[in-house]
Amino acid sequence: MFISQTLSSPEAFSKALFEKMKTIQPAIADLEPYEFRYCLNNITPEGGWASIQPLPQAGIEQMVNSRAFYDSIQIKPKVDDHIVLDKQIVWLAHMLFVGLVTGDYPEAWVEQHFYFDIRSFFFLHRTTYFTDEVLAHFGGRPYRQFEQKQKAFEYYQGVGYKAFAEANAELDALFIDSVKKIIAAIGIPVLLAIAGPTAAGKTEIVERLNRSFEQDGCKTTSIELDNFFTDRDYREARGINSKGKEAMHFDLLMQSLEDITHGKALSTPRYNFIDGSSSHDLSGKLKPGRIPVEVQPADIIFMEGNFPFLIEEILHLIGIKVVYLTDDAVRLKRKWKRDMDYRKKYEENYFRNRYFKEQFIMAEFAYRPQMAVCDMTVDTTGAALWVAPEIAEILERG
Amino acid sequence: MAGTSRLRSPVEFSRVLFERMASINLAVRKMALYEFCYAVEGLYPEDGWDSVQLDAQEEIERTIRQRKYYNDIHTKPREKDRIVLDASITRLTRMLFVGLVQGEYSQDWVNRLFYFDLRGFYFLPRTVYFTEAGLAHFGGEPFRTFASRQDQFEHVQDIGYLDFREANREIDQAFIEMIQNLIEARGTPILITLAGPTAAGKTEITEQLLEAFDKMGKTTTTIEMDNFLLDRDFRDNKPMGKETTHFGLFKQCLAEILQGKKITIPRYDSLSASSSHDLDGNLKPGCRPLEVEPADIIFLEGNFPFQMDEIAGLIGIKVVYLTDDPIRLKRKWKRDIDYRKSYDPAHFRNRFFKTQFQRAEDVYRPQIEKCDIVVDTTGAAIWVTPEIRASLA
Repeated sequence: MFISQTLSSPEAFSKALFEKMKTIQPAIADLEPYEFRYCLNNITPEGGWASIQPLPQAGIEQMVNSRAFYDSIQIKPKVDDHIVLDKQIVWLAHMLFVGLVTGDYPEAWVEQHFYFDIRSFFFLHRTTYFTDEVLAHFGGRPYRQFEQKQKAFEYYQGVGYKAFAEANAELDALFIDSVKKIIAAIGIPVLLAIAGPTAAGKTEIVERLNRSFEQDGCKTTSIELDNFFTDRDYREARGINSKGKEAMHFDLLMQSLEDITHGKALSTPRYNFIDGSSSHDLSGKLKPGRIPVEVQPADIIFMEGNFPFLIEEILHLIGIKVVYLTDDAVRLKRKWKRDMDYRKKYEENYFRNRYFKEQFIMAEFAYRPQMAVCDMTVDTTGAALWVAPEIAEILERG
Repeated sequence: MAGTSRLRSPVEFSRVLFERMASINLAVRKMALYEFCYAVEGLYPEDGWDSVQLDAQEEIERTIRQRKYYNDIHTKPREKDRIVLDASITRLTRMLFVGLVQGEYSQDWVNRLFYFDLRGFYFLPRTVYFTEAGLAHFGGEPFRTFASRQDQFEHVQDIGYLDFREANREIDQAFIEMIQNLIEARGTPILITLAGPTAAGKTEITEQLLEAFDKMGKTTTTIEMDNFLLDRDFRDNKPMGKETTHFGLFKQCLAEILQGKKITIPRYDSLSASSSHDLDGNLKPGCRPLEVEPADIIFLEGNFPFQMDEIAGLIGIKVVYLTDDPIRLKRKWKRDIDYRKSYDPAHFRNRFFKTQFQRAEDVYRPQIEKCDIVVDTTGAAIWVTPEIRASLA
C-alpha cells in the first residue's frame, strides 16, 4: 500500500502504527489491535492523518529542548466545560505517529528522545538529569553499578510499591549502608536531606532508613521545609513565585537548622496549606492563637522535599545531601497507580498535561542544580550509586 | 474497648482492614500497606469510622436483592464540579469495612454476597445469573466442565486480553467444535446469536468462530439488530421489542436470508437517531438501505436477540456467553477507562454497580432460560438444553 493510502485510511494507519509502536514500547504487545484502535481514536486528528505535517527532526529536537515549549503547555485547557489535552502535546504525538508510519522519523531517533506512556497514550520527552556538569561532579562514573532490574517495568503498564522495592533492593541496601558510614565519619546530630522528583520513591526510602536507624538505637526526627513558608497573600502581593529564600521565614530556618544540629529542641513555624497561612508573622513572631511545630532533638534529622538544598546559604548546615532519582517513565507509571488509581486525586487530562509540562521545568530548576552540589545521587532506574569524590574516600576508608 | 480504639485511629483502622481484606481480595496482598492506606483515605467518613452505623446482615441481604436499590443509584452525582461515588454505594463499602474490622460481619458472609473491586476500591453485590428456572432449563447440570483457569485472575488487578484468551482456550475450543457439529447436523443457512454482558468476551469469541467457519469453507455475514430500530422519536424510551422495531420487515428479512436470498434492510443512523425507513417500512426519500449478501452462517448481533418470541423461532443456535462480574469489571477498567477513556471513573463505578443487577434481571436471566447453550467462562462450564445434548450425542 502506498503511504498516501495508509494515511487516508484510519484502519490502515492504526495497523501500521501498531507494528511500529511494538518496537518502541514493548508493552504495546499486550494490546489487541482493536484495543490499540480504541486508544488511537481518542487522539485522531479531525482532518485525518494526512493533514499532519511533521516538522524536520532538528525542529522537533529544538522545540522539546526549549523551556518556552514547556512554559506554554496549558494544564487545564477546556473545551465544552471539559479539561482536554494540551494542543501541543497532541500535536507532538500526531507528528511522531505520522513520522513513524511514513518512515520519516527512524524508530531509534524517536526512542532516543522520547518515551511512550501507554496509559497516557502520548509521547513524552526524555528529561536529562545527568548533564556534563553533574557527571564531572561525580568524577565521570558511578561509584557502584548494579543490574538494571527496572527494565522489567517496560513490560508493565503500572508499577506497584512492592515490585518497585524489590527491583531497587540491592541499590537501596548499599545506599543505606553508605549513609551509615558517612554518619559514622562526620558524627551526630546530622541533617540528612533527600531531594527527588515526585514518585521517585523518597517516602519509601526515608521510611526504610528510619527503620534501620531505629534498629541501631538512633533517634530520628524530621523537618519539613514547607512549614517555613510565609503567608501566601504576602508572597502573591510581592510577586514571589519561586520557592527560594525570599518565600521563607529565612532567618528562622537558619536558626532552626543551627539549633537542631547542636542538639537543641525547636519550635518552628507551621504552614497551613489549606488557607495558605503561616503560624508566624513576617517579623518571625508567633501569631496569637496559633500553634508552632515542636521538634525534639534527635541524632538524625531528615529534610525531605523536592528541593531541600537548593538554597545556597543552608548548604553548609546539611550533613548529607542526597538526590533520589527514578526515570520519568517509571515515575509516571507509579503516579498512575498511586495518584489516579488509588488516591483518585486528579482529573485525568489535567494529570497528563501537568506531568508532561513539569518534568523539564523541575529538572532545570531543582534537580540538576541539586545534583551538582549533592554528596550522593541514587539513580534507581540506572541502578547506580553516584558519589562525590570526598564521599567516595569516606566510603573506601569505612 | 479494643474495637472502639481501632475505629478512632484511622491508621490503626487501615492496618486491621488491610489484613482482613487480604483474604477477601487476593490482589490486596500485592499492595504495600502504604498504597492501601492511600486508597482507604478516599472513603474516610467525615466524622470518622466510628460514625458509621452498621445495618443487620439480614437487612443488607434484603436490600441488595431489591430492584429498587439499584434503580435509586445515581450514576452522575456531583460534588462541586466533580462526579463522585453514589452515596448508597459509599455507605455499603463503609459498612462492610467497619463490619469486617469490628468482626461484626464474617469474611465468609461478605465473600458470599459481595466482591471487592480493587481499582474501584468498593464492594459490589454478586449478581445471580443461574436461577432455579435457568438450571432446570439445562437439566440441572452442566454438559461439560473444565479446569477453572480464571481463578488466577483473583490475584491480579488487571487482565490483559492475551491472558483472558489463554485462560479460556479449552472451553472456547470445545464450544467452537460443538457449534461446528451442530451446524453440520442442522445444515445451512443458519442464524446464530451470541448474547452476553458487557466485556464478557463476545467480540473475541465471535472472531474465533468466524475463523473456524472460514476454515470449514462456510461463508458468513452479520446482521446488526439495531438497524431495525424505529426513529428514536417513535420509541418513547421503550426497550428493543416488537413495538420499537420495523418488526414485520425484520421477520421477513430473516426468513428470506434463511432461504439463501440477498436482502435489503433498513439502516439506522445512531448519530441522528433515525431510520432509513418510515413507520410503514418504506424507504424514506434520499435514504440508502443496507444490502446483505446471502451466506451459510448469519450472525444476528444485538443486546436482545431472542427475547422476541416470533424471532426466537427463526434462530438456529442461541448462545449466551457469560463471564463473572469481577472479571468483566477488571476487563472494563482496562478497555473502557485506560484505553478508550470513555467515562469519568466515578461515573463508570456507579454505572457498573447499578446496571449489572438490572441487566441480569431484564436481559440475561430470561435469555439463559430460553437459549440453547450457555458458555460460562469463569465457572468453566458449558450448559446445553436436553435437545442440544441429544443432537450432540
